[in-house]
Amino acid sequence: MAHKGSLFSRLMWRMALLLGLGAAALITAAWFYARTAADEAYDRLLLGAAFQMSENLTVQDGVIKFDLPASAFELLGLADSDRIFYRVVTPDGKTLTGYNDLDTGVDLTAHQSQPVIGNSTYRGVDLRHVTVSRVLTQKSGVVWAHVIVAQTLESRRALAAELTTRATILVAIMCLLALAGSAIAVRYSLHPVDRLGRVLARREPQDLTPLDLDVPRELTPFVDSINRFITRLSERMTLMQRYIADSAHQIRTPLTALNAQVSLIDDEKLAPADRRHMERVRRRASELSRFTNQLLNHAMVIHRFDSVQLAPVKLNDVARKAFRAAVPMTVDPDLVVSFEASPEELMVTGDELSLREAIVNIIDNALRHGAKGRLDVKVGRDGDNGFVEVSDDGPGIPPEEWGNVVKRFYSSRSEDQVSGLGFAIAAEVALALNGRIGFREKTEERPFAIHIALPLIEGGQA
Amino acid sequence: MIRRLVTGITFSLVAALPALAIEGAREVFPAPGPQAGRLVIHGATDLETMRPLILDFQQVATGVTVEFVDYVTNDLYRQAEKACAGEAESGDILLSSAVDQLVRLANDGCAQPHRSAETLTVADWANWRDEVFGFTFEPVVFVYDKRAVPVEDVPKSHEDLADLLRLKPTVYSGRIGTYDIEASGVGYLLAFYDARHAPTAYGRLIEGLSRIDTVTRCCNSEVLGEIASGRVRLAYNVLGSYAYRAASENPDLGIVVPNDYALVLSRGAMIPKDAEHPQIGKEFMNYLLSPRGREVARQKAFFFDDGKPLPPGVEGPEALMESGVGRPIRIGPALLAAQDESQRSSFIANWKHLVSGE
Amino acid sequence: MRIFLVEDTHDVGEAICRRFQQAGHTVDWETDGQAASDILSFTEYDLVVLDVMLPGRDGFSILKKMRQSGSGVPVLILTARSEIDDRVGALDLGADDYLVKPFDFRELEARARVLLRRRAGGEATNLITCGDVVLDLSNRSVTVGRREVQLKRREMALLEILASRPGKVFSKEELLDRLFGFDEEVGENAVELYVGRLRKKLEGATARIVTQRGIGYQLVADGA
Repeated sequence: MAHKGSLFSRLMWRMALLLGLGAAALITAAWFYARTAADEAYDRLLLGAAFQMSENLTVQDGVIKFDLPASAFELLGLADSDRIFYRVVTPDGKTLTGYNDLDTGVDLTAHQSQPVIGNSTYRGVDLRHVTVSRVLTQKSGVVWAHVIVAQTLESRRALAAELTTRATILVAIMCLLALAGSAIAVRYSLHPVDRLGRVLARREPQDLTPLDLDVPRELTPFVDSINRFITRLSERMTLMQRYIADSAHQIRTPLTALNAQVSLIDDEKLAPADRRHMERVRRRASELSRFTNQLLNHAMVIHRFDSVQLAPVKLNDVARKAFRAAVPMTVDPDLVVSFEASPEELMVTGDELSLREAIVNIIDNALRHGAKGRLDVKVGRDGDNGFVEVSDDGPGIPPEEWGNVVKRFYSSRSEDQVSGLGFAIAAEVALALNGRIGFREKTEERPFAIHIALPLIEGGQA
Repeated sequence: MIRRLVTGITFSLVAALPALAIEGAREVFPAPGPQAGRLVIHGATDLETMRPLILDFQQVATGVTVEFVDYVTNDLYRQAEKACAGEAESGDILLSSAVDQLVRLANDGCAQPHRSAETLTVADWANWRDEVFGFTFEPVVFVYDKRAVPVEDVPKSHEDLADLLRLKPTVYSGRIGTYDIEASGVGYLLAFYDARHAPTAYGRLIEGLSRIDTVTRCCNSEVLGEIASGRVRLAYNVLGSYAYRAASENPDLGIVVPNDYALVLSRGAMIPKDAEHPQIGKEFMNYLLSPRGREVARQKAFFFDDGKPLPPGVEGPEALMESGVGRPIRIGPALLAAQDESQRSSFIANWKHLVSGE
Repeated sequence: MRIFLVEDTHDVGEAICRRFQQAGHTVDWETDGQAASDILSFTEYDLVVLDVMLPGRDGFSILKKMRQSGSGVPVLILTARSEIDDRVGALDLGADDYLVKPFDFRELEARARVLLRRRAGGEATNLITCGDVVLDLSNRSVTVGRREVQLKRREMALLEILASRPGKVFSKEELLDRLFGFDEEVGENAVELYVGRLRKKLEGATARIVTQRGIGYQLVADGA
């Protein structure tokens, strides 16, 4: 499954993007407002100066006089880094004073009832200008003079920049706070997801009980489908087990009948050759029975591990039951068969049925292939492990075969030694319960032994 | 005979060249060390005043040869206008006591800005757009002849002077001197500011001056010369630096800083936009504004400085700026009003009519 | 002995019948569960061999009904299913023993024999101790120290005799009489054979079988 990155980082990136876009929009808006505000502020200076100057236009003896008010320039000087350009125009278009070539594009032949503010360029610099008209009465009648005042844009740009910078800082701080806040909130909100993950991870593999935990609404469909899946799986397991059980029944009945027929044959009445054949038939039928038993037991035992909960189990009890089940009444009377329990109660985590099957298989194999005069089953403790050991005085299994015998359907060279599923079952059960099967080589002092070792439950002595 | 003719023709030709008529003295100060650069100063300041500064500067910048071209303020302005239009050579730095002219040049786009550690120490009112810097602190004073003016007559304020003229017109008729504001740019500036800052006192003073015969001269050296020669007893609106220099050589001269208000002029320095060696010009600017430069200026050139006591022998209020008596001429766009054509011409016309009787 | 067999697979039922009859028992064979249950309600048997999967009524319910009505007849359950629930269930419900199909017929015979004997003999189920040898008559096992050793029926009987009077010498003839029945043909050395086997199984115990030459055998605890 490809990694798409964490949910958290996806959320945070989107959050950051959104905030970024928002911030950009805000800053742009702030810039516009700042410019407008700066323009308004400094336009007032221009207007003020222009009005002052236009007030000082008078007509004396029919001649237009202009008394330049220094205070108008003081006013303009409040924008102390800007250059000033001005021009006073008489009604006939002549420049009374000022920069002669200052042209702001305003029509000077007409009366401007309102001051005209605009932008222009003069001598290679950008200017903001205002044109104010003044009505004067001359002998010829009413005439208009114009006062044009212009300033460079440095101060207002600086003001706009400062306002924008301040706004940007505020917006940036807000964004950072928002981002940090949402990071915390998102982290916190994602806890249920973490929790769900942890609960699922903690589950035993064979646990097929439905999930039962409180989750937020968004995760409910997720949990529901897991539970539905679990239920389906559990039902399948049950069906499978029932199938196994039914198959077992199907197979065992004809086998029993086969055994029954074979047992009914009277050997006395047969010719020696036929007797031999009969004996072989008996042997093979017995093998078949045994093998079928193992097959079905194996399937059932393994499938038990898929669904059954493990529980604490008394090792002595299980071993004793296995011993009783594995040693038939018809065992060779000259065979000394003994069982030794461990003096302390040893508890292991497992499933009684499968553990018993495993031990039964080991004992059964020893009976069939190994033991000559003795078979001893012993339960004991070795460090942190409990073990069930089956030893016999037979030749045992040579060390080079040990790895092979636990594989399924392994048949050693000699037919007498081991074949079938018995050890495979025992090994798989041991593995499923965190234990192992082990062998001990036959020596002068000690007989051959096979054991199954399982970890003890901590402090688990009844 | 022919030689004389040739020389005579050459002389008249030379005399006819108008370009040279603008310039004043030109002096070259060779570099004390191996020459690394050349600085051309166009100055409307007295060369003698600048000499100690130039020499000390050359101790700091040993490879710089300094060429000082002396102008009258109005001529400096015209030359700079032409240079700005590309019709004449620019200096590397312009120095002028007519700061309004420098501001006008800067407003017209003829200056280049300069920012340095030293420029940051300049007061707000002495810095416009980092293009025009005021590098001195010069109160505007009265100068009088101690031999001729009795102690009780010495005016302590503009009011006192106006009273004096009103009360003793005959004594002082033809004995009062000041700048010809048509000829002197700085004279015009100071008169303009007088009219603005203290119109009542100015009005009374002008009225007083108009009643008596006022002597007007183009430049401060002439004005002071008239006092020294005894013709004039009291000079009005003289730059403190010039007055003090003259007084230190001539103990008969007395100096008064008026105590009702005293204009304070900060002489202007500007780097033209087309300067040939602007880097050296900026170095010199830095020097002028540095503590070392200011100290040399105070001791040897301009004798007054902001926050420092009045030089010995000068009467007047201490702590000019703090007490509010001092009125610095702010280097800023307000000076453009002074430079307005119509304003200027009408002001000068009015003044001349009153003072010179024309 | 009268044996009641409830089994619906024909050739299995036939084989079981034949075997028991050959051993001298009378066998009644029923294939239907409900019919079997009815029969059991009014007929007394010495042993019931009961299959679980039956038409009509299943083996467990028959067993339950039997025990509820107070019948103490030994029951041997035969089943094809080997789930633990069934085993525990069978014994809980009152079955005496349990065999999983397919089984060895000799095993069936042996287990049936035990149950019949128990029925006939009414064996005491207490423990007999001698030295570190403990006889558990109900399990047919002997505990030597910590080891439980499986004994055959006759071995158990022999040990029981010897251990009932530790130290007492029992003669060969006496043992022969008590161990073997009238009509059983036994070899000369049958007793010796069983004593030998018993000795092997008692190896390491603190009680020993001592041969008194010419007289007989006795079980002696060490230190006694």
